[in-house]
Amino acid sequence: MPEPLLVVEDLSIDYEVGAGTFHAVKEVSFRIDPGRVVGIVGETGCGKSTLAHAIPRLLPEPPARIPSGKILFRGMDILKVPKWKLPLVRGTGISMIFQEPINSLNPAFRVFDQLAEAVRIRRLRETGKSPGLAPAMEGFDYSKRKVPKPGDVLAKPVLPSVPEGRKLAPAVDRQALRGDALEYLRLVRINDPETILGLYPHELSGGMRQRIMIAMALSERPSLLIADEPTSALDITIQAQVLTLMKELIEEIRTSILFISHDLGVIAEMADDVGVMYAGHLVEFGPVAEVYTQPRHPYTKALLRANPRQYKGDGPLPSLPGSVPNLSRLPPGCTFHPRCALARPECREPPGPRLEPVSGSPGHRTACYFSEEVATLP
Amino acid sequence: MDAQGRTVKAGASTTPIARAKAFGRWLRSGSLGFYKVMRANPLTLVGFVLVVLISLAALLVAVVPPITTALGYPVQMTPYGPNDLLPCPVVGNRTFCAQPPSVEHWFGTDRAGRDVFSRVLAALPLDLAIGFLIAGFSLAVGGGLGLIAGFWDRPGTVGAAVSLTIMRVTDVFLAFPSLVLALAIAATLGRGTVPCILAILLTWWPYYIRLTRGEVLAVKHQPYVVAARAAGVSEWRILFRHVFRNILEPLVVYLTMDVGTVLVVFSTISYIGIGVPPDVPEWGNMISAYGDYLLIYPWMVIFPGLAVFITVVAFSLLGDGLRDILDPRSRRALAQAEASTTAAATPAAPEA
Repeated sequence: MPEPLLVVEDLSIDYEVGAGTFHAVKEVSFRIDPGRVVGIVGETGCGKSTLAHAIPRLLPEPPARIPSGKILFRGMDILKVPKWKLPLVRGTGISMIFQEPINSLNPAFRVFDQLAEAVRIRRLRETGKSPGLAPAMEGFDYSKRKVPKPGDVLAKPVLPSVPEGRKLAPAVDRQALRGDALEYLRLVRINDPETILGLYPHELSGGMRQRIMIAMALSERPSLLIADEPTSALDITIQAQVLTLMKELIEEIRTSILFISHDLGVIAEMADDVGVMYAGHLVEFGPVAEVYTQPRHPYTKALLRANPRQYKGDGPLPSLPGSVPNLSRLPPGCTFHPRCALARPECREPPGPRLEPVSGSPGHRTACYFSEEVATLP
Repeated sequence: MDAQGRTVKAGASTTPIARAKAFGRWLRSGSLGFYKVMRANPLTLVGFVLVVLISLAALLVAVVPPITTALGYPVQMTPYGPNDLLPCPVVGNRTFCAQPPSVEHWFGTDRAGRDVFSRVLAALPLDLAIGFLIAGFSLAVGGGLGLIAGFWDRPGTVGAAVSLTIMRVTDVFLAFPSLVLALAIAATLGRGTVPCILAILLTWWPYYIRLTRGEVLAVKHQPYVVAARAAGVSEWRILFRHVFRNILEPLVVYLTMDVGTVLVVFSTISYIGIGVPPDVPEWGNMISAYGDYLLIYPWMVIFPGLAVFITVVAFSLLGDGLRDILDPRSRRALAQAEASTTAAATPAAPEA
């Protein structure tokens, strides 16, 4: 068992707003091993984006509040890191790409300046001028260019960086930054990177901007990349292109990724493990193949059944009766019981079910008392 | 074009002439938006030229006489001294000191026989310095405080308390019309140029705080700010590079337009009579002193008024153009419009 990269333990996140306290994330626990791609899937408002933003502590606090839980990134509790030290964890440790590529690049700067900023931050950390809190991981030799097994992590730079301690003249430094930036643009399959470097964000298409965001995130060589619905704002063709790119990149530079999406198909394609969220709770977690073929939670089952691509029959698409509970007034016990076909009286009693290992399949966990019976559902 | 310009600049140009030519090419290429915007926007060009001329004239008027006097060869930049009493023509037993504009006295003379053109020109450095000093100081103070108040305002933190204090103090100042407050302060401090400047200085910055804070609040929740934070950029760097750079545009535009407004307010205070002493040449002062004779001797009032007007218009036009230059979108659009027209006229240069 390798040392886990990220462990999230009993993490709860509330939003305190005028109308009351909203429990956006409730007692979520999971772990990401080095080199694994973990997907989180769930419908709108189930707390998956909140979870993604909470890991590098990007949530505005207040209104967000983290009453309990731990986020251990390589053994360091991020919730205990003082605020002023947070920039040292972000970027080179945990990097993030966002939902809206349209506005994620600063409109006032050329692509080069934005990429250079990221590269410069990484370089400062590497040369020890601005110490990062997360030290670089064990190197992995990518010169052999073989596809690494899960567990090996990208830490060996894609490119050699500036030798430690050497000081460069500004013009030379700019040239070096330019070289780095070009290399990363090529990495995300941008044709004619020379021209792109001189353009402003508004001159690029959405897909192009998202590629540049990915290049920026990767140029910092993060141990963990969080992708918060990176393709949701793109149209379907561009979405496919970006996903193909990300899939290739995953093979090429086996960095750990937390991939957030509402699209079951996307997750199936990208992720090794998948977590299913419902109303702030992680209801099921396990290897993708297993969760998709043998769901052990009624919600997962219903979610898979409602996937239009899988539906071959006539008539209306099967849907789940009822609606998502109000996050400020969650039902007692299991949050899913009002909509669940398997619900029994004990499901209503607090505390609700916790994630328990499923017997017979390692790594697969579900939060249902009657997980054995899920297979009997339609 | 950009890459080409850069290679030309860094490349083989060895002789000074070749380097100068390369610099000229770089200047005309798309990299320098300023040049293109000026050419594409005639009104901005007018504003820019006027501002340059006005500033140059002010500099000459302020700098040349003292230097030449020190060197022993005094040179006046104005045709007559601002307070020189010229001999008045006598017709019969009456003297006519107030002469209409003539070849000798372009803007005429006033009732004491002083040359109005000389006085208008002599007032230029003072008025311009006041405009820039007050607007610049307000931008520095108000802009700085506005950035702080807008950026660190998360409830329950020290920053929020600071932000709240700044904004409430601002509200106190904004509760009075700034002109009335400035008048009150000027009246308390006593008559004179310096008290008058101080009075406006003290009342001018709250508007900048309001403007800056509002802009910061709008920009700091943009996804690119969150993205920068996620990339590990420090808060100060985010504040200046990502937030400040994106609110610079409205601030600079407001500043250039404000230079004119300051002049008007300063003139108003002088006009009411608690500003500059009457012997100091200042536009507002002149308008106020000669205002009573508007119908009989209009030139005494019209020309100082025109000076205020032209200065204000020049800065406003320039400010309008600066918005285009600071915004990469319109800058690039203008540059491309320009490039397409020139490309149609001249055959395209081979790619380097």
